[in-house]
Amino acid sequence: MLRALQIVFGVLVVAFLILPIIAILPLAFTSSVFLTYPIPAYSLRWFEELVTADVWRLSIVNSLIIGIGATVLSTVLGTLAALGLRRSALPLAGLLRTLFLLPMVVPAVVLGVGMQILLVRLGLASSYTGVIIAHAVLCVPFVVVSVSAALQGIDPAIERAAMSLGAPPVTVFRRVTLPLAVPGVVSGAVFAFATSLDEVVITLFVAGPNQRTLARQMFSSIRENISPTVAAAALLLIVGTLCLAALAALLRRREKRATALP
Amino acid sequence: MGAFIAFKNVTKKFGALTVVDNLDLEIAKGEFVSLLGPSGSGKTTLLMMLAGFERPTSGEIFLDGKPITHLPPHRRQMGMVFQNYALFPHMTVAENVAFPLEMQRVPRAEIVRRVERALDMVRLGALKDRKPSQLSGGQQQRVALTRALVFEPDVILMDEPLGALDKQLREHMQLEIRDLHRRLGLTIVFVTHDQSEALTMSDRIAVFNAGKIEQIDTPQMVYDRPRTRFVAEFIGETNLVAGKVVDAGGERAVVRVGDAALSVCGNVQPGRDVSLSLRPERIRLGSTPAAANALPVTVADCIYHGDHMRLVLKSGSLELVARAERLAGDWPVGTEAVASFDPQDCTVLAS
Amino acid sequence: MSRPSIRDRAWAAALVAPLVLFLVLFFVWPLWTMVTASVVDDAVTKVLPRTAAAMAQWDGNDLPPPAVQTAFAEDLRSAEDQQALGEAVRRLNSAVSGFRTLLSRTVTAAREAADLASLDLAAIDRRWSDPRFWRAIRDAVPPYTDRNLLAALDLKRDASGNITAEDPGTAANRVIMLRTFVIAGTVTLVCALIGLPYAMLAASASGLVRALLLLAVLLPLWTSLLVRTAAWFILLQQEGLINDALMAIGLIDGPLPLIFNRLGVIIAMTHVLLPFMVLPIYSVLIAVPRNLMPAAASLGAGPLRAFWRVLLPLAMPGLMSGCLLVFMVAIGYYITPALVGGANDQMISSVIAFYALGTANWGMAGALGLILLAVTLLLYVVYGRLSRSPQLPGGA
Repeated sequence: MLRALQIVFGVLVVAFLILPIIAILPLAFTSSVFLTYPIPAYSLRWFEELVTADVWRLSIVNSLIIGIGATVLSTVLGTLAALGLRRSALPLAGLLRTLFLLPMVVPAVVLGVGMQILLVRLGLASSYTGVIIAHAVLCVPFVVVSVSAALQGIDPAIERAAMSLGAPPVTVFRRVTLPLAVPGVVSGAVFAFATSLDEVVITLFVAGPNQRTLARQMFSSIRENISPTVAAAALLLIVGTLCLAALAALLRRREKRATALP
Repeated sequence: MGAFIAFKNVTKKFGALTVVDNLDLEIAKGEFVSLLGPSGSGKTTLLMMLAGFERPTSGEIFLDGKPITHLPPHRRQMGMVFQNYALFPHMTVAENVAFPLEMQRVPRAEIVRRVERALDMVRLGALKDRKPSQLSGGQQQRVALTRALVFEPDVILMDEPLGALDKQLREHMQLEIRDLHRRLGLTIVFVTHDQSEALTMSDRIAVFNAGKIEQIDTPQMVYDRPRTRFVAEFIGETNLVAGKVVDAGGERAVVRVGDAALSVCGNVQPGRDVSLSLRPERIRLGSTPAAANALPVTVADCIYHGDHMRLVLKSGSLELVARAERLAGDWPVGTEAVASFDPQDCTVLAS
Repeated sequence: MSRPSIRDRAWAAALVAPLVLFLVLFFVWPLWTMVTASVVDDAVTKVLPRTAAAMAQWDGNDLPPPAVQTAFAEDLRSAEDQQALGEAVRRLNSAVSGFRTLLSRTVTAAREAADLASLDLAAIDRRWSDPRFWRAIRDAVPPYTDRNLLAALDLKRDASGNITAEDPGTAANRVIMLRTFVIAGTVTLVCALIGLPYAMLAASASGLVRALLLLAVLLPLWTSLLVRTAAWFILLQQEGLINDALMAIGLIDGPLPLIFNRLGVIIAMTHVLLPFMVLPIYSVLIAVPRNLMPAAASLGAGPLRAFWRVLLPLAMPGLMSGCLLVFMVAIGYYITPALVGGANDQMISSVIAFYALGTANWGMAGALGLILLAVTLLLYVVYGRLSRSPQLPGGA
């Protein structure tokens, strides 16, 4: 009895979690202009729309430009900071770590309002630089967490071993620490890119019409005039993030195997 | 015997905690010295100072007459084998072994040659392209050892290198390391908390307790002539017997224990209260009264240990543990017997 | 280990510095800007500096003394910056309507007047003999104001400067804040009711089943928030899959209103936030030894008692973390209510976005943002304490 109840409950929750995401996918291939089942016929017209319609095509290009910019900026800054925070040689290291994580906590709308006012003052409003900076702020926590975890996984004895074998500190960093931290850096960068790709709220506040990202375009499309293009864009995003997630998982597994010494 | 490695008045404090306390230690070239002691006794910290990972709070460390106290680790030319091997997980076996040679800017071709020779020597040539995670514990241990040896360092430091291996493999590796030491004439400083490992391998053993060396001697002397109660108890099993010195001269003394006067080894003043250390296997049991150093005892318990028996003997308020070989017959509980020992098998401890 | 040397510290500081600088510039500063925007009120002071200084001489009764009027006329004559003047007018007009025409007429007169000291303002416009307009100027000249913060809480200052409640007709913020907490609380409760048994199920399962249960939680987490909201939008709409399915099996005759209402918001937000509830509880339960429940059973506890006395207390830290996390994220939600909710389901974030994006009223956006920020940070501090406490020596 209890067992049956458990199974029913488990299946229901799994269905609740997974089905909505799966249900949206076939609609990307509908030939109709309505997002409804049953699908009258299958076609690729909405994907065509995605790559030919100016607003959509531009938004995809913008998402890539901004995503790559924010990823590079946050990965460089976050990796350096994670290296600096290592072994807490700094006073107030705990406080700094909290500061680095806060962008994940502060509501996006709140940061958006402040960012909007400030970027106008700095003359960065409605510019790629402004949007990239704003996205990078949101991405930084993921990089810091990911790289810190990778660094924490390195046995300090390994670096000592390198020193005792004649490697000066710079060589130890280059030949041992950095290669072992790379999986963490890459998975941090993947998280950062996924975060930027999905960002809407801050973008609403700081981006001009020329920096409209795919997520931002989907938001207004759902709000104003929803069409199956949204489903096509969703499919694109799902496939994209799943690829990135798979890449991150693969790297984490490699990292785990590499450091899984007795 | 000129000192190759010398610690002079070395003290190391971590905050208020003194881990190494004003310590002197000299190690000769080609010697195998074990640093033995319980955890927290300062032996690992001493090794870390010798390797350069820790700076002494005060005092100096010398290598071949030159002070190295402030030399960074990578310029000390000491090969080190770590507790969990500390192999580079992202490099292959061959790359691991090549690492110290690259650091010394040995030409590429020679590196390849030397790595191959070294790996063949420890029978790992076939595994040279594997990653450490693909090796067994024993193989990893041999790679770590090879990596520490390949650049022909002046000194090899080992920090509990065999701790992670199972018993059989550990005993095999003990012999292998001892053999390497003899063959190559290496100077080895070996940290362990395993007394049998120290006894098997070392030229000399330094027994650590609370930041100080209690005794440094050959394995035989440390076992047979422990100088302190700590050493006697830490190494092997022993019976500690309290008594009073009634007569003494030279290396011999007579100590009164209960009603019996026992003659023992040791240089002490008459009239002092002392402890005697008597190893279980040195106690002889007989059924007839022996001439000297004899105590009448009753067998209180008899514990079966396979190849031998452990007997708990009572003599008045005194309780002794003795080891009886199976050949020496049965000693059922309650048997009256006489326990005796040779004077040179019983040591007076400074207490 | 040795304490780090000065060189180590210098290195660490140099590595951390770029990110600290970046975040101070583009994270702390924006938040600070937002906070100041809610209390700074210098649009009028900037244009009327002399008036601001002279206002000290007036007690607020009757009409201001001539010195104030002269200073005011001088300020208007020298007001060059049209944009600044426009902002001052807008600020004054929001207090008492009529300032727009009044000021433009007065500025023209002040510029044309030969002698400002003898200029009779009441002659230019009769409204200058009404103290209400002068009081509006007096209230607007201090460079800082608590007006926005009070308004965010549906409060205002009356003519004598006492804090009173806003007229019920214009008061809306308390309702929205209450609604925000109610929606966030409901979502948290629903997540807890689903998440706790689900996490227990996942922790007790093994092998493929456990992997599947966890994947079902992680997959949505990895999927874009916008995709998930779009999916619910499509599912919940009138001709959506859920209504179609319900009608097909004959449960209902006409489509149920599932979208643009509270139900839709709760369903979509629960879907989005459920992983944040399941994962903390799961990570606590996974550390519980597996033989604990059999042990409780062997000691005579039935399954229900064993759950109540053993498993639930052990799951409690995870449940608390999960609840705080879900609630904290939920109160700041914008996208899901904006897309799936109706007019009566908009939360505080929507109001902030409305003020900032719709009406460019930074003062109100900042004040409401400050409240949301404070509540979120408070919850985060509690969350930080809570998630660290299990490791405290002697802690539960």
